[in-house]
Amino acid sequence: MADLPVMLPRAGARTWPFGRRRAALKVGEGSRPPRERGDRRRGFLLTLIAVVALAAFLSPMLRSFTYALKSTDQITQAGTPLWPADPVTFSYQGKDLPLLLVPIGGTTRTLALFEPGRQKSTFIDPNDPAAAPITWVGSWRTLQNVWTFAPHWENFAKVWDLINYPRLLFNTIMIAVIGTIGTLLSCTLVAYGFARFKFPGRGLLFTLLVATIFLPAAVTVIPTYTVFQKLGWVGTWLPLLVPTFFANAYDVFLMRQYFLTIPTEMDEAAAIDGAGPFRTLWSVLLPQSWPVVIAVALFHLVYSWNDFFGPLIYLSGHEDIQTIALGLQSFNGIHYRDPGLIQAGTLMTMIIPVLAFLLTQRFFTRGLVVTGVDK
Amino acid sequence: MERRTGRLGALLAVVVLIAVACSSATPSTTPAASPSSAPSTSASADTGASASPAGSPDASSTPLPSAISAGSTGKPGDVEIRWYCCLGTGDAPEQVAVEKQVADAFNAANPGIHLSFQAYPYSGARDALAVQIGSGNGPDIVGPVGIGGANAFHNQWLDLQPLITKNNYDMSQYPKSTVSLYNVGGEGQVGIPFAIYPSVLFYKASLFKEAGLKEPPHTWNSTYTMPDGSTVPWDYDTIRKIGLLLTVDKNGKDATQAGFDPENIVQWGFEPQRDDLRQVGAYWKAGSFVGADGKVQIPDAWSAAWHYFYDGIWKDHMMVTGPQFLNTDFNPNGYPFFTGKVAMSENYLWSTYGVKDAGDDWNMAATPSYQGQTTAAFNADTFRILKATKHPDEAFKVLLYLLQNNDLIKLYGGMPAVPSKQDAFFKSLQADYKQTIDWNVAVQGVAFADVPNFESYVPAYNQTLNLINTFGTKWQATSGLDLDKEISDMKTQMQAIWDAGGN
Amino acid sequence: MTSPSVARPRRQPRFSGLAWRRARWGYVFIAPWIIGFLAFTLLPMITTLIFTLTNVTLSQDDPLRFVGLDNWKAMFADQRTWDSLGVTFKFALLALPVGVCLPFVVALMLHSRHLKAPGAFRVLFFLPYVVPFVAGVFIWGGMLNSDSGWIDGLLKAIGVTHPPDWLEDPAWIYPGLVIMGIWGIGAGMIVYLAGLKGIPTDLYEAARIDGAGAFASLRHITVPMMSPVIFYTIVLGVVDVLQYFLVPLVLKNGTGDPGGSTNFFNLYIYQNFFTFQKMSYGATLAWLLFVITLVLTLLLFGAARRWVYYAGEAR
Repeated sequence: MADLPVMLPRAGARTWPFGRRRAALKVGEGSRPPRERGDRRRGFLLTLIAVVALAAFLSPMLRSFTYALKSTDQITQAGTPLWPADPVTFSYQGKDLPLLLVPIGGTTRTLALFEPGRQKSTFIDPNDPAAAPITWVGSWRTLQNVWTFAPHWENFAKVWDLINYPRLLFNTIMIAVIGTIGTLLSCTLVAYGFARFKFPGRGLLFTLLVATIFLPAAVTVIPTYTVFQKLGWVGTWLPLLVPTFFANAYDVFLMRQYFLTIPTEMDEAAAIDGAGPFRTLWSVLLPQSWPVVIAVALFHLVYSWNDFFGPLIYLSGHEDIQTIALGLQSFNGIHYRDPGLIQAGTLMTMIIPVLAFLLTQRFFTRGLVVTGVDK
Repeated sequence: MERRTGRLGALLAVVVLIAVACSSATPSTTPAASPSSAPSTSASADTGASASPAGSPDASSTPLPSAISAGSTGKPGDVEIRWYCCLGTGDAPEQVAVEKQVADAFNAANPGIHLSFQAYPYSGARDALAVQIGSGNGPDIVGPVGIGGANAFHNQWLDLQPLITKNNYDMSQYPKSTVSLYNVGGEGQVGIPFAIYPSVLFYKASLFKEAGLKEPPHTWNSTYTMPDGSTVPWDYDTIRKIGLLLTVDKNGKDATQAGFDPENIVQWGFEPQRDDLRQVGAYWKAGSFVGADGKVQIPDAWSAAWHYFYDGIWKDHMMVTGPQFLNTDFNPNGYPFFTGKVAMSENYLWSTYGVKDAGDDWNMAATPSYQGQTTAAFNADTFRILKATKHPDEAFKVLLYLLQNNDLIKLYGGMPAVPSKQDAFFKSLQADYKQTIDWNVAVQGVAFADVPNFESYVPAYNQTLNLINTFGTKWQATSGLDLDKEISDMKTQMQAIWDAGGN
Repeated sequence: MTSPSVARPRRQPRFSGLAWRRARWGYVFIAPWIIGFLAFTLLPMITTLIFTLTNVTLSQDDPLRFVGLDNWKAMFADQRTWDSLGVTFKFALLALPVGVCLPFVVALMLHSRHLKAPGAFRVLFFLPYVVPFVAGVFIWGGMLNSDSGWIDGLLKAIGVTHPPDWLEDPAWIYPGLVIMGIWGIGAGMIVYLAGLKGIPTDLYEAARIDGAGAFASLRHITVPMMSPVIFYTIVLGVVDVLQYFLVPLVLKNGTGDPGGSTNFFNLYIYQNFFTFQKMSYGATLAWLLFVITLVLTLLLFGAARRWVYYAGEAR
C-alpha cells in the first residue's frame, strides 16, 4: 500500500485512450459497480446526512423566501408567524382595528381593539359592532393577534414594475454570455499553452499571471478606468467584455491545473498521428476536460451576473445598458429600503444562473470509466 | 433519473418566470414601461440615440448599438453637461423617472446644451465619483448633496461667486444664515441654497394617548404638562421622564415599573437622530470639534448629550441599542420611528420620505431645550458644480434651472430655501397624509438651526468622520463603558489624525 | 528567476529545432493573455507602483511631488497597518481551513456512489453560490442576529440560555463571518467535483481488489490525484482571504466593529483609497499586500513540488 500514490496514477495513465471515435466513455449510472450488501444501509445513512446538512445550509434561503412574501409590517414586528401573514383587522367607524384573542368570562373571544390603555382597554365585538364597547382589565400587549396567511406575491410584481426588469435581464444575459464565451476561449488556449508547452520564461510568465490577482482591485480601479476612458469605452459594455477575451488568472490557473492531471501520453500519440496542437487540444484534451470547462463557464457566469462594481463605474447613468445587480441596488438606497423587494428581486435574479447549473450539473457526475478499446 | 430532475427544475423555473411576468400589475405587452415612459415634454430626437422611446415593443432589440459603441448623447456640437446624482437621496426608481423628465425638459428648452442625467445607486455613488474625479473624468454638476456629503469631496467644488456676479443672480432672496452655510471652509461660495431640512420632534399620538400622556408642545421653547398636572420646561429631562413611561415591555410594563423586562421591549420612548455623533450633540447645542486654537475640542454640551444618549440606551432602555438599530428585520428603513414602535423621534424634515410607515397618527412637535436654549440640527441639500468642469457657464445655467424646479424639491422632500415657496410646498406634502400635520412646527424650527452647522468642514474630514462613527458604533453596541474615558480617547485619536494631515 | 510553479528547469544550453517549434506554439497559445496584460493590466499596476513614491490624494491639496520612500516609512510606523494585518491573519487561520476542506467534504459526499439523487443535491448545494453578495450578507445578517435570527432561536429552543451574539461579540465574529462564507462553497464544490470526475474509476477498482478500504482509497488515490486541484484551492484561498473585506464593509459599514475585530487589512486599503482618498498611501498598503501574497504563494509553489502530483506535466 505504501507505494500506491506513486504506483496507481501511472497504472491509470496507460489506460487512457486516444481519439474521439475510439474512446468509449461511460458516465453516470452505467459506471456503478454492482451493489453489495451494506450498500443500501450506507446509502440511506449518507443521504440522511446530506439531507440534514442541506437543510441547515439552505434554511437562510427559506427565511429569505418567506421574506419575499412578507409585508414590511410583519418583518419589523416581533412575535409574528414564520410564514407570511397579515394581522386580521375589523373596520369600525372608518378605522381598521386589529383583532385580538381576549380571555373574557372564562372563554377566549376574538375582539377588535378599540381604545388601548395601560390598565384597561376597550374592545368591539365584530359580530355585534352596534353594542357598547367591552372593557377588559389587563395589558392588551399580552394578548395574541389573529393572523391570516397572506403571501405578498405583489412584491415580485413591484420589482417588475419599478425596474425595467426585461431590459436589465436582457443586458445581463448578453454581458454574461459574451463574457463567458470570451473567458472560455481565451482561458482554454492560455491554460493549454502553459500546461502543455515548454518555452523559455514560462515559469516567470506564469508567476506573473498569477501575481496579477495579488493587488487588491480597489487600487487599480482608477488607472484602469482611465485606460477605458481614454479608449472612449466608458458608458459601453466594452470594459466588461473585451478583457474577458484576454484570459484571467483565476480560470487559467484552474484549467492549467486540470490539464496537468491529464497524462501526456495521448497528446504524444496524437502528435505521432500527425495532429497539430489545435487538433490535440480539441480532440484529446477537451473531451477529457468537460467538467472544468463547465466549472469555468459557471464561475464567469455567476461572477458577471452578480458583479456590481464594474457595471457601477462603467454603466451607471446609462439605464438602457445596465445590469440587474445595479438595478436591484435601487431598492437598497439610503432613504428607501424595502426588505421584501430586496428578497423578491434577489430570487428573480437567481433564476438564470440556477437554470444554467441545472442544465450543466450532469457534467459533474461520478468518475469516468475509461475503457480503452484498443490499448 | 438525474437528467429528468434537471429538466423538471428548468421547466419549473421558466414557469415561475412567466407567472411573475403575468402577475405584474402592468400589462405585460409593454415590458419596457418603466415609470420613465410617462409622457414627457420631450421624447423627441433631442434625447439622442440612447433614449429609445420606452414602451416600444422591440425595446430589447435596440440596446446593442449604444451598448457597444460609446453612447452618443445630444446633437453634435452641443455642450454636454453631466449631472451626477445620488450621493444622498434621488436614486429610488420613482425619483429617477422624475429627474430624467427634468433633464429632458431642460434639453427641450435649451438648444446648444445637452444635460445628461446619470443616477448612481447610493451604495456605490461615492466610490464611483472618486473614480471619475481621480481619472480626470468628473461630472459637471453633482446633486442633490448635503453639506457633509460635499465635504467628503473637500476642495473639489467651484466657487460660484464669480458666476453669481456675472449673471446678477439675486442671493438676497435667501435668508442670510442659509447662504452662509455654503461659505465656510475657505472654498468660497460653493453652493446656492436649494432645499433645507429643519429638525422637529416626530411623535405618535396614539402611543401618548394609550399611556395617558399629553401630546408634546407644537410651539418652540415651550412647556409641558405632566400627568400629575405640574408644568415643566420642554427639555431633555422631561423627554426622559415621559420617555420612560412610553417604553414598554411585552408584558405591558413601562420602564419605571418594577419587573420591567429590558430584554423584551416592544415599544421605545425616544429615538435621537443617531446617524452621526456630531448631530447627537448638535441637538443640544451647536458646536464644533475645531477649537479656537485649531486643535480638537469636545464641546461640553456634546459630551453631555452623548452621556444622555448612552444612558438612554443602556440604563433607561428608552432608545434601541445599536444592534437593534442595525437589525434589518426590526429596522429595515434605518429609522426605528418608521416602524411605529417608537413614541418620539428627533429627525429632519426629510424623514417625510418614509414616516408614513409609522401610521396615521404621527405629528410634529418642537424639539426639547438644553439649559434653556433650543437647538435643532439642520440639514441642507443643493446642487454643486465641480471645479474641474470645462463648461462653468453652461453648468451654471443648468444649476439655476435645477434650483428653481419645483418638481425636484418636492421629490427630495426638502423645504424650499426661498420662504415664499414654502406654503405651496407644505400643501403638496399634506396631500400625502390622512391626518392634519402641523407643518408650521417645521417652518418655525428654521430659526433654531445649529450655527455653526455640525456638518461643517473639519480637518481630515473623512478620517475624522470614520473615527467618530467607530466610537459611535461601539457605544451603541457595548454596555458598561467608561464614557468619559471613551470621549477623551476619541479626542486624542482625532488630534493624531489632524496632526498627520490629509483629507 | 526560476519559476516555482514548474519543476526547476534543467540547464539546457539551447532548445533543439523541434523544441523551438513547440515553444513557439506555447507563445502563440498564451498570446491572448500577454496582449491583454500589456493592454489592460500592466499600465495600471505600474501606475499604482508609482503612486507609492508620490503624494497623490484625490483633492491634491499639496502639489504633486516625488516623496521617495516616505509612504513606505509611514506605513511601517503606522500601528493600524500591523493591527489590521493581525486581524486578517487571525481570520485566515480559521477561514482558510474551512474554505479548503469543507467544499472537499461536500464534494466527496456528492460524488459518493452511495448517495441517492446526487443531481438534486448538487443543484441545491450550489444554489446559494448564486445569491448576489449584498443579498447574502443581508440574509445572513438576519439569520445570525441574536434577537430575531434562527440560529440563536434554535439554540435557545434547545436550552442554551446565552447563545453567541455572532455579529456583536469579538469572540464570535470570526466564526460568524465564516458561517456567512459557507454559502460560497458552491465554487469550491464544483472545482473539486470536476477534479473527482477526472479520476478514473478503475483506480478505485484496482485498490479494492488490493483490499484497500474507503479511507485508504481516499488517502492514496483521491487526495494524490486531486492534489493539483487542492493546490489550486489553497493558493486561491490564500489570495482571497488576504483580500477579504467586503462582508465586514457591508455588515459594519467600515467601522471595524466589534472592538476593531473587523478592521481587515484590505478594508484599510479600501478606506485609504475611497474614504480617506489618500491614493498614494492606499497604493503603498496594497503593494505591501502584494509582496506578502507573493512570498506566501512562492512558498506554496515551492512546497507543492513535494506533494502535488501532475500526471501530465510537459516534459
